[in-house]
Amino acid sequence: MIFRVFEKEELKQLFDILSDHNRVVAPVEAGRDGSGRPVYAFSDVREFNDIRLNHTVTKLPAKRYFLPFKEDLATFTIENDNWHKSIAYNIEQPFILFGLHPCDINALNKLDKVLLHSVYPMPYYAAKRKNMFIIGFDCIPQPYCFCRSMGADTALHGFDMFITDLGARYFVEILTDTAYNFLRHIRTEEPGEDDHILYMKVVAERNEKFTAHVDTTDLAKILDMEFQSDVWKYWGDRCLACGTCANVCPTCYCYGVEETVDIDLKGARKTKMLYSCNVMDFAEVAGGHNFRPERHTRLKYRYYHKHRGFVEAFEESLCVGCGRCGESCLADITVPEVIASVRGSGRNE
Amino acid sequence: MNPELRFTDVVAQARPQKRKDDIRNFEYSYRAEITSIYPLTDKETLYRIQIVDPDERRRFSFVPGQFIMLEMPGIDEAPFSISSSASIRGEVELCIRSVGNLTNFLPRVRRGTHVGIRGPFGTGFPMQQMHGQNVLLIAGGLGLVPLRSPIAYVLENRSHFRDVNIVYGTKSPAQLLFTYQYEMWRKDDIDMDIIVEKADQSWKGPVGLITDPLKDILSGRDTEFYYNTYAIVCGPPVMFKFVCNMLNEFHIPMQKMFVSLERRMHCGMGKCCRCNVGSTYTCLTGPVFDYWTVMNLKEAI
Amino acid sequence: MAESRTRTYLGVPLYRPRVAFFEFSSCEGCQLQILNNESTLLDFLSLVEVVNFREAMTERSEDYEIAFVEGSITTEEEIKRLKKIRKNAKTLAAMGSCACFGGVNQLKNRFRNPASAKREVYGSHPVDSGPVRAVEDVVGVDLRIYGCPISKDEVEKIVLHIAIGKSIVVPKYPVCMECKRNENICLFEFGEPCLGPVTRAGCDSWCPSNRAGCWGCRGPAEDVNLRQMRKIMEENGFSEETIIDRLECFGGFLSLMKPERGRHG
Repeated sequence: MIFRVFEKEELKQLFDILSDHNRVVAPVEAGRDGSGRPVYAFSDVREFNDIRLNHTVTKLPAKRYFLPFKEDLATFTIENDNWHKSIAYNIEQPFILFGLHPCDINALNKLDKVLLHSVYPMPYYAAKRKNMFIIGFDCIPQPYCFCRSMGADTALHGFDMFITDLGARYFVEILTDTAYNFLRHIRTEEPGEDDHILYMKVVAERNEKFTAHVDTTDLAKILDMEFQSDVWKYWGDRCLACGTCANVCPTCYCYGVEETVDIDLKGARKTKMLYSCNVMDFAEVAGGHNFRPERHTRLKYRYYHKHRGFVEAFEESLCVGCGRCGESCLADITVPEVIASVRGSGRNE
Repeated sequence: MNPELRFTDVVAQARPQKRKDDIRNFEYSYRAEITSIYPLTDKETLYRIQIVDPDERRRFSFVPGQFIMLEMPGIDEAPFSISSSASIRGEVELCIRSVGNLTNFLPRVRRGTHVGIRGPFGTGFPMQQMHGQNVLLIAGGLGLVPLRSPIAYVLENRSHFRDVNIVYGTKSPAQLLFTYQYEMWRKDDIDMDIIVEKADQSWKGPVGLITDPLKDILSGRDTEFYYNTYAIVCGPPVMFKFVCNMLNEFHIPMQKMFVSLERRMHCGMGKCCRCNVGSTYTCLTGPVFDYWTVMNLKEAI
Repeated sequence: MAESRTRTYLGVPLYRPRVAFFEFSSCEGCQLQILNNESTLLDFLSLVEVVNFREAMTERSEDYEIAFVEGSITTEEEIKRLKKIRKNAKTLAAMGSCACFGGVNQLKNRFRNPASAKREVYGSHPVDSGPVRAVEDVVGVDLRIYGCPISKDEVEKIVLHIAIGKSIVVPKYPVCMECKRNENICLFEFGEPCLGPVTRAGCDSWCPSNRAGCWGCRGPAEDVNLRQMRKIMEENGFSEETIIDRLECFGGFLSLMKPERGRHG
């Protein structure tokens, strides 16, 4: 890996150079909540000053830029008894994601395993993923962040460059030649031994700030053992089955497909919509049978898929510990608490 | 001049190792024609569906137990077990019961209508492993639909198998499928037992549960028979649970019993998660599972 | 119109039903929604044969297959008229919150003393208006089109599905799904009450997208957790009055609530 350090004011210069010819998506302040705290969101950005690099965590992940909530998989033109199918991958130009936190970069790496590197790679995802230039940015752990427990607090790959704030200067890891060439447009220098020491100090200080934890020891096995446990009913009774946890999750990718006919009968489309395994009809089949009719069985399934099934398939869980689901859950269901309760301690007792 | 990112065309750059890795395959469907529509009962219809393009037809092959996704543009797309012989290329037979949008629309289309098919997907029954062994082919209700493909394989390769038994049970005689084929199956030295839960006036055969004839077949055999017997069990979960438990009592190895699970699928390619059982994709790891695996799946039965 | 009778979709003949629209106690805003579909109105009309639509035409006929009924039922005369429509129609669709649940009108059922309320509003002028009832409380209903007002897309989809023979489905999940798809910030973050987590989706989260909390006009989603929803509203500092006002506003949640005030006063 190649490292560089640069003065802070150079970052604006870098942004200006990049945004001159490229679309840039970055975290911005989308509003203020009831207590006056800023609410962050990813958005198209033209001005460097609109970016909030000190943002905590965006309410929604950057998912919609590579897994849109709604996307046409195919469109059809209908002519009398016949039809013609056309497929588009719904991306026209590459874009830059500026300021992605390690958890969200790791989320992309996890999605890659299912959507790019498993059998049947998904071109709709691949087309967007391969046209993203990612500038990662370090973060300040929040009380709800348990990424460290999930091994997602640092990103080793899945970005083009990753910037860490050393206080006076920025430290940058460069993974791709595109990033390297971009950086040639601003003044950077080789980090010295002092920079290395400072970097390690910053990282150590950051590690001190994590307060939320999930014990993942033997978790896949414990989930299997506790399949019939009453804790699921406790959480199922609280769950609103509103699907918010999946919609704010950077790693949830499940979906439903709906075919519709245009009102003029001249066209039809096959639309993919991101779904949520917590909503009522997720496991319903034609004819009406529902494999998971109760809220607690659906909530349990979500934990099973993320913390057991995915572990079996890829030896890591499908959760990066960003804490968005718990923060967005009106019923206050959080991953650390659910897992602690399955392990026999916590709120439900 | 400030730099500009270059667009990457993932489809053009794809270097697939095999068909399953080919990124172009995801939404790619074969244009196929419904060449024959044959009503089997008042609810089930048999469709013969042939891929239109001759080259594609030659390339399309499947193994017994696999399924395809069938699409009627604007109406719906859904998974169906292939119900025909795997030795016929580029053509499948699907036996479809009218329960949803697609399956209610299909009986209204004309012969010659074009549909889209994707696949074949999923795992199949390991027919070649069964060579030299006894085979029990057991179906309850609509389970005869997926079972018809391994039956065809056994018929076409009859010399590779020892004793072959078909055991088929339905709720009533009116629900019996493929009645016109039983004689042909029996003539090729295949024992076939048919049982219904509730007889009607014309029914002359036995009445009871599917496990009744099965027990007769299994009783009094030597251990060598049990050890060298494979079973393919297709039907609703309660049925295959009872059947497999009985097979297990006779010490037929659980890894020699195969069942086919049915779930709603939206992609068939291990992406949409709709078919997951516990946390296993039915479309990738299944739909054919050995019974030992099913025992280890949460929510399967 | 002879040409459109033989229209097909992928070779399957379309069903072109004779439809009629009727209004009862309501603002007639739902019917207006249908006429508002300027860009698609002609396509819509080509799928059905409208034989009765007071807002759009003068001819009348009693020979129809589908009756779209808007409004709640408040008088004896309305009950008689509705029963006749039910007899004529093969399919009766309750259209809009008033028809489905009584709508805003049913709030008057909350008055302990309706006679004095009536006096307050109408003075001594005689007004025939009894307790408000949903259409299904008077006759059988085959189809419910939710919303106040109904969404034009949904009605178009229903008519299209009838024409091509697809089943009519409405989302079973709550508004939150659509609200998140629209990338809204949750209204609870702003300290505003919202029934999105328990209300049936299909409106494309119209109100929350415009920063107004959901009032539940489409009634409950399926398998809703109303008990938890009320607890959450309480924990977020909303008074019992605020919560009940919202849940009672369109009448959709009354069947799930304990008879706190009772439906008929």
